[in-house]
Amino acid sequence: MKHILLIALLSTSFTLVADWQQPELSHNLTVIKDVIPAADFELQDMDEEKIKLSDYKGKVILLNFWATWCPPCIREMPSMERLHQQVDAEGFKVIAVNQMEDIDQVFAFTGQLDVDPTFEILFDTTSSVSRDYAVRGLPTTYLIDKEGRIRYRAVGGREFDHPEVIKIIEQLMAE
Amino acid sequence: MKKIVSVYLLVLSVIALTVTGSIASEVKVHKNDTTGLLTWTVNDDGFQIELIQLLPDFIRAIYAKHSFPKDEIERAASYCVFGTILKNTSAQQLTYRVADWRYQTSDGQQYPVKTKTQWLEEWRKAGITFSWTLLPDIGEFSEGDWQQGFTTIKIPRDTEFDMIFKWQLDGIEHTGVLEKISCAPESLPEM
Repeated sequence: MKHILLIALLSTSFTLVADWQQPELSHNLTVIKDVIPAADFELQDMDEEKIKLSDYKGKVILLNFWATWCPPCIREMPSMERLHQQVDAEGFKVIAVNQMEDIDQVFAFTGQLDVDPTFEILFDTTSSVSRDYAVRGLPTTYLIDKEGRIRYRAVGGREFDHPEVIKIIEQLMAE
Repeated sequence: MKKIVSVYLLVLSVIALTVTGSIASEVKVHKNDTTGLLTWTVNDDGFQIELIQLLPDFIRAIYAKHSFPKDEIERAASYCVFGTILKNTSAQQLTYRVADWRYQTSDGQQYPVKTKTQWLEEWRKAGITFSWTLLPDIGEFSEGDWQQGFTTIKIPRDTEFDMIFKWQLDGIEHTGVLEKISCAPESLPEM
């Protein structure tokens, strides 16, 4: 009973916090001037299969760091799903790296969303990968090119299916 | 989605800008019509800051969800905690360090704002490996970047304080003050 009350309080309070004046989701991405290789990693997915970043070399990757308790992470998820649906999977991949939560928590969370995410979700249970990527706050997102180099960054929520973002992704795919 | 009807109270502040001169900036104080909780928002010199009162029970719920020990949950809830949203609204590179921020009590004493690093050190000693929710110690924001997290102030709940922020835009330091910030009450009044 106490657990249920805690969840109810958390949900209500979170809504109150999340509703008020969250900044609008813009679409600008920061160009990384000193291009660096994206660190490889191996994490489990929702089916407990081990997935490596390098499995997707040759594709442009949108690598997003998030958590279920992070309001802007939740707000940008629908745009990530639309992006995933819209851009050719042959050359592009969306990967959402969850921080310090487990499969059951995320499964329950995604079941409550208006849109069920179909992009890859991986579990960074110790946040070691987020440290490798110098992630200070959530969400933080990187665009990685086909050669495995970090080319763009966004700190904070974004509308990832904005035409200008898609244009950048398609330019990277065409390189 | 629950609709929150708000009443806006526009307050002309006395935010002093040490680099660009003393210009009174507009602070918006927003009162949640349902809970009475307050939010302060100011957009000054490319730095948008929002402080949102958070209830102790909300903090308890957050850290209980992450399986914190009970004494650590209560310790966190004993602080005045604010949801803090920071955004670079300029076209310049913005940096901030929480270690440069201060809160000033009514007697004029200034105190450093507790940093995420300090919290994590204490949590690790308590066997806690969770490392999120708190406002990152350092921010390096390009145009449009923004971030949120908890800011914690150790102050009696019924007292007011001024929050002194520092930030840099393309290396030039700016200072702003949000006056008369108050903590969330211990609990919401019974309806």
